[in-house]
Amino acid sequence: MKNFIKAVLVFYTPKTYPKTLVYMLQNTEYQPAAYLKWFWRTQNFNKVMIRRTLEKTKAAKQLLLGLYVGITIQLILGVLIIYLWHWHNLPGGLVFGIAVIVSYPVTWAHLVTIPLIAGRLLIVEPNQKAKILASENVFKKHRAIKVAIAGSYGKTSMKELLLSVLSEGKNVAATPANMNVATSHAIFAQSLTGAEDILLIEYGEGAPGDVKRFSQTTHPTHGIITGLAPAHLDHYKTVEAAGEDIFSLAQYLDNQNVYVNSDSPLTESFIRPEFGLYNQYGALGWIVSDTKIALKGTSFTLKKAGKEITVHSSLIGRHQVGPIALSVALAKHFGLTDEQIIAGVASAKPFEHRMQAYQLSGGWVIDDTYNGNIEGIRAGTQLLIDLSAKRKIYVTPGLVDQGKETKTVHLEMGRLIAAAEPDLVVLMKNSVTQFIQEGLEFGNFKGIVRVEENPLQFYNNLREFIAAGDLVIMQNDWPDNYS
Amino acid sequence: MDTIAVIFGGRSAEHDVSIITALSSIIKPLELTEKYRVEAIYISKEGAWYWDEKLKNIDLYSSGKIKDFIKKNHPVSLKFDGGLTLIKSGRQRIRSSSLKVDVVFPSMHGTYGEDGALMGLLDMAGVAYVGCDLASSTIAMDKILAKEVAIANQIPVTKFVIANKEEIDKDIASVIKRVTTKLSYPLFIKPTHLGSSIGISRAQDQTALSNGLEVAATYDDMVVIEEEVPNLIEVTLPIIGNDVLTPAMLEQPMTKPEDFFDFETKYLQGGKKGKGKAGKGSQGYSKIPADLPKDLYKKALDLGLRTYQIVGCQGIARVDMLIDSKKGEVYFNEINPLPGGLYAHNWRAAGISSVELVDRLVNMAKERFEKQQKLATTFDTNYLQQF
Repeated sequence: MKNFIKAVLVFYTPKTYPKTLVYMLQNTEYQPAAYLKWFWRTQNFNKVMIRRTLEKTKAAKQLLLGLYVGITIQLILGVLIIYLWHWHNLPGGLVFGIAVIVSYPVTWAHLVTIPLIAGRLLIVEPNQKAKILASENVFKKHRAIKVAIAGSYGKTSMKELLLSVLSEGKNVAATPANMNVATSHAIFAQSLTGAEDILLIEYGEGAPGDVKRFSQTTHPTHGIITGLAPAHLDHYKTVEAAGEDIFSLAQYLDNQNVYVNSDSPLTESFIRPEFGLYNQYGALGWIVSDTKIALKGTSFTLKKAGKEITVHSSLIGRHQVGPIALSVALAKHFGLTDEQIIAGVASAKPFEHRMQAYQLSGGWVIDDTYNGNIEGIRAGTQLLIDLSAKRKIYVTPGLVDQGKETKTVHLEMGRLIAAAEPDLVVLMKNSVTQFIQEGLEFGNFKGIVRVEENPLQFYNNLREFIAAGDLVIMQNDWPDNYS
Repeated sequence: MDTIAVIFGGRSAEHDVSIITALSSIIKPLELTEKYRVEAIYISKEGAWYWDEKLKNIDLYSSGKIKDFIKKNHPVSLKFDGGLTLIKSGRQRIRSSSLKVDVVFPSMHGTYGEDGALMGLLDMAGVAYVGCDLASSTIAMDKILAKEVAIANQIPVTKFVIANKEEIDKDIASVIKRVTTKLSYPLFIKPTHLGSSIGISRAQDQTALSNGLEVAATYDDMVVIEEEVPNLIEVTLPIIGNDVLTPAMLEQPMTKPEDFFDFETKYLQGGKKGKGKAGKGSQGYSKIPADLPKDLYKKALDLGLRTYQIVGCQGIARVDMLIDSKKGEVYFNEINPLPGGLYAHNWRAAGISSVELVDRLVNMAKERFEKQQKLATTFDTNYLQQF
């Protein structure tokens, strides 16, 4: 009862409620549909701003001001109606006035989306369309080799790796960070000088037809498909549909200069004989040997037709062997020297929150919290097997956006974790926890399972849980707008 | 879910250190176990006991607001009801709440806590508690008694002389004469019962010795003066366990004898003497494991474990040792029944996380208590019927 009263009162707390709404908008990237979905699913608005607080950006401040003004007007209106009822016998004025006052939290939770929708329709979208159109011309005329990087996972890492390696001998430009949608491509096009030798363009697919559209705009000459896994299934519905979209890149390239990660089992049915393949055993005819996986990085030797090259990278995990091998093979193909390639591979750094290893309390933590698919889980659990430690700990909240595959994916995830035999599994409690636990049971997991009710507390106090000899792998993130 | 009462603060020169140990090294990891209900019991410098959720917040102490808290809140009462229950009355004394404690986790450094006083009270109450018992705490916190126990058990100690406050105050010259007849400079002068290096000084001449004696005598009624070990390597060994002992790693504070670990060095300068800013606490400037030849490392480790057992420590303690690196001799220096911050940094290096450490300590307390409960403490006689 006490909690229920608290949950109701938060609607009428001027200091908290408008901020919570803007926070929710900010965390759904001002997407009205996602925001409203979150709003209607939320049972206790006191618990929304737990992980983070509102970032007071210009847009957030404007929305907050708009909310305060709107709410104030509605409250004045309510009081005015009651006043008219009291002094001028306005019929039904009391009930209506109270209703106007009481309803302001719900009213403004919805009205706040109007400027966003209007702004998107009238300003943002036309502006973006114009920019995308202009960028198409830039890409078409650009003389550089244009490498498109698509896939359900591993795109940013592949792009950053190629950027490190190819930059040793070529003038290379790449789409920044994980900016990988059409508008990002358009901004990227504006930054080009025309003197670049190679462009690396990441394709962030999210719905059917995305990759085809990106290809038509950016005019790639080469394509890399980093893997296929259930992702964005809220829009794609099935993995096959996602695969068809991703592999439309190959169609655009007439199946020439297409390189596919065959370590990813789901790519198999899409692979054509014309494609170049790469995996942990080699790439484009280069054969991998002497692979060494350690916390300080990954080393191996590549051999082809009497040539040999040994590389070391600070990227961690067996799943990195294929991408590194491909980057070496492409670098050779594009004319880089062995010295340049070795230096390039050595200089590649893990992208933030992607298999990023660091020491804490004497133990090792591998932060892979940006992973968002089952193939990443496969890589993470394989890494747990490959590395030795006194105590192994696996931490995850599970995967979001798995659509109808949610249960299947998390059962598989539980089995993969069980097979890696960590001593302790820490699960952040949410709607998929039960499925992971079932998967662990199916996998006959013998270690300890700890279900965390307060994930933030666990992450913030990680140093208190670990010690020398521990190896902790943290995978996936569970944003606030998921239950 | 067991209720763990963490008791800290107290009438001790180490009152503030005790708060830090409790809040950062005990309460927080205990709560993170999610196995216990953890309650904070603060003893003011005046000796009044308080129990409140707010007492878990370091800001209350660092901002000085603890004084307002003490003014506004009533101290708790203790009820010995075949265990320990704390009773707190509300501000208007209308409502009161009580707390039945399952295990006490003392976080008291120095007098009225680490010296066995608190343990005596807890024994009387009949409640399980973490760490050394009354007898071992008393021995450990009395540097003279600890040395005597060590000597009686053939554990080497450095040459020392004792003096009491009265003779220092009345006739310091004769004390100095007695000391210099038996010992050679440089010397260490220490209050007998204090930890955290409070009141300790080093003397290389008579003036420094005189000053050191006066300082030590302001803190304690007994003072011990020790001869410095040549070619010194100082090491310390945290140990946990009741019957089966688990040592952490031998730790070597990186200070020269002339920069010995006084309170400021230990807690305010991150273990670094000089102009360095405050750092990570005592762990900030030490080597883990100690940089010693294998055989010497083992010798020190064995001596530490033996001392822990001989003194009768249980739960947790830390044994400090002095090594003459040229002779390869290891001397027992002191034993600390509640290492500051539980020496969690060292346990982490030894592979035991803070959460695991406090959990193990609570379990050890429960095990010991269960064993004690099985012992007969009374027996029936017809003695009274004769009257």
